[in-house]
Amino acid sequence: MDAPSNLPPSRRRTFLLILAGGLGALLAGAAGWPLLRFLAPASRGGAEQAVSVPRAAVAAGTAHFFQYRGKPAVALQLQPGEYTALSAVCTHLGCVVQWQEATGEFLCPCHGGRFSPAGAVLAGPPPRALEILPVVVDGDQLRIG
Amino acid sequence: MRVLTLIVDFVDRRLGVRELFDKELRGYLLPRNVNVWYTLGAVLLALFGLQILTGILLLIHYVPHADQAFASVQRITNEVPFGWLVRLLHAVGANVIVIALLLHMLSVLFMASYKGRREFTWLSGFGLFNLAMALCLTGYLLPWSQLSFWATTVATEAPGAIPVVGDLAREFLRGGATVGGQTLGRFFALHVVALPLALLGLIGLHLFCVKRRGISPPPFGSDYRSQELPAAFVHEEHRGGIPFFPNYVVKDAAVICFFLALLLGIVFFAPNLFFPPAAFEPADPFVTPPRIKPEWYFLWAYQTLKIFPSELIGLGVQGAFMTLLALLPFLDRGPERRPAKRPIFVTVFFLGLLVFVAISVWGHYS
Amino acid sequence: MNGRLRSLLPLLAGVLLAATPALALAPPETVCIQCHGGQAGPLGDPAREWPGSVHQRNGISCHDCHGGDPADYANAMSPARGFIGVPAHDRVPEFCGRCHVGVLEDYRQSAHGRKVSEGGAQCVVCHGSHAVREASLDLINERDCSRCHDYGRAAEIRAALDETDARLAGLGEGFERLRRLGADVEPAKGKLFDLRNRFHRVFHSVEVDKVRAETGRVQAEAALLQAEIDAYDRQTARRRVWGGVAVGLLVMLGLVLLQVRHTYADEERRG
Repeated sequence: MDAPSNLPPSRRRTFLLILAGGLGALLAGAAGWPLLRFLAPASRGGAEQAVSVPRAAVAAGTAHFFQYRGKPAVALQLQPGEYTALSAVCTHLGCVVQWQEATGEFLCPCHGGRFSPAGAVLAGPPPRALEILPVVVDGDQLRIG
Repeated sequence: MRVLTLIVDFVDRRLGVRELFDKELRGYLLPRNVNVWYTLGAVLLALFGLQILTGILLLIHYVPHADQAFASVQRITNEVPFGWLVRLLHAVGANVIVIALLLHMLSVLFMASYKGRREFTWLSGFGLFNLAMALCLTGYLLPWSQLSFWATTVATEAPGAIPVVGDLAREFLRGGATVGGQTLGRFFALHVVALPLALLGLIGLHLFCVKRRGISPPPFGSDYRSQELPAAFVHEEHRGGIPFFPNYVVKDAAVICFFLALLLGIVFFAPNLFFPPAAFEPADPFVTPPRIKPEWYFLWAYQTLKIFPSELIGLGVQGAFMTLLALLPFLDRGPERRPAKRPIFVTVFFLGLLVFVAISVWGHYS
Repeated sequence: MNGRLRSLLPLLAGVLLAATPALALAPPETVCIQCHGGQAGPLGDPAREWPGSVHQRNGISCHDCHGGDPADYANAMSPARGFIGVPAHDRVPEFCGRCHVGVLEDYRQSAHGRKVSEGGAQCVVCHGSHAVREASLDLINERDCSRCHDYGRAAEIRAALDETDARLAGLGEGFERLRRLGADVEPAKGKLFDLRNRFHRVFHSVEVDKVRAETGRVQAEAALLQAEIDAYDRQTARRRVWGGVAVGLLVMLGLVLLQVRHTYADEERRG
């Protein structure tokens, strides 16, 4: 990197400053890109996809389990024609809850957490209610999300 | 280029910036034997600037609420593009600042630069050091991790040992009987607004003191002169010295580059250097994690409290030591600055440094 | 000036003291531990064994299983406050099964469960009680199984489980490593917990065929989790390359600037 020392210092300096300017520009670019990405508005593509479930699969009094954005979810028909959908992941440690037809409740097999059909915690260690997913009736399909 | 000249002309005609530049930067002469330790001030300015920038960026996504703080930091590190980088730069940057501050202070001590009516420079610098520590302490709580919560519980417990007003002082710090949402609120306000404002003000005062009194030359080489000061104020000039701009600024910039390289090196290749496992668990007021330790720069204080039979004595020793350090220029008044001619001071200096390191290491492994 | 300084000292010391940390507090203890901890022999053993157990680490204390009032000396063991003492041998499955409901279901149908009233093995026979650790395959071993019966069939089940169990344990370590790098692994760890739990449930059925069938499903899901870890590692490696480039550029710029400084120094020497 050392320029020939027989050159006058000011000549050497010009060369070195051009080099430094180049390196500085590279570094500024390297710092500017993350900054721009950090501040860029959040993209809303892909992740917002809805899931369709046939209404016939969700008979009254039964629970239908399906995958929603990579996680287990469950749809219920509480009253005829009235549907709800919930995340089926227990809020305690992430086990998948089971539907108890006899009692009309969700039961987590890991530590006995119990949830109402609306997702509220009835008993056991879960800290929060099950996440509620928006449901729209669309002909003979349910659109979730 | 032409447009730039026009703009500068416009400003110059109104504010005389060219004259200011020539006098304060080009004409600001440093001693000819100035050494690399004199760049640490510029390094600290640059690092504080980086903290302010990354701090503002973090504020965009951080939520100062006990229920959401941890999740918001998780979101920053995992979902926001380059949020992990901004967060690590801020957290690791704080540690690099402490390193630079210690080096700056140690070099000033070793070269006795606080001498020659520079008490205000020293006191403002000492104040800056404590403000930086307070910024570290308050910033530590904000991620609301197990580490944050319990390190802050331990740290705010200390004033409780003060007789009579101890309990009151502790509750006042915490905003309640224990660390909680109230503590997060006040630490957030301190960390984000109050302390940075104070820091900026004190940095201004510190720089003013340095420039007004004149920079203290290194006490080495044949140029060294023991000064007899007249009764009135004197500005110490260095005729025939090195112009600050551009001659010395490039060295400042070089050392800043090396410090930034150190910072990035840690961020990319040893990101866990300053993060124990408890930093990645959300705060739980009912579970004390095992082996909770303060940050490395508070280990000495942590260990001193354990050495002494009562916390009050430990606190007293710490307070006495820090007070002694703060008042050093008032106590050490002789004109001699050459380390070779100050054997007692230099011995105490190195012994003190050794004790500091030894106690910190002891605290780490105890 | 000295007098004024001296009057500043307490103030200054106070400010400095505020910034120094002190010692931690001891965590609070239930009355259960306070009484039983001091007792010699079997009455004190639970209080000594429980610390370090998987229950203690997850904040499950005496009263969570045995009932009673952990904050009231007088009524700590009152049946009116729900106190249950030591369950009988064949009541242990329902005692533990209040929380571990899934395992209970599989256990009930197993050879162990069907014979529990005739002294068949129940939960604590294999897992122990108060010092209970996170379940692992080591619980199936010749010494323990042959306390009651021949080890042969148990060995067969263990062999069927071995590889998958090791894989799940490896995934757990992988996610723990990522968590220590700041990754948000909670969803993935939840999936792994569920997987592990479903897999461990099957152990209790003590039927080789059922275990083999479940193993295939578990392996497929484990592969998906492994892919998450691999993706994160690839991302970290990519970041390191860029980080290395940035560090290199900064060092180079620093060295160039030092050379610029030398050109000035040369001029300064010449005068």
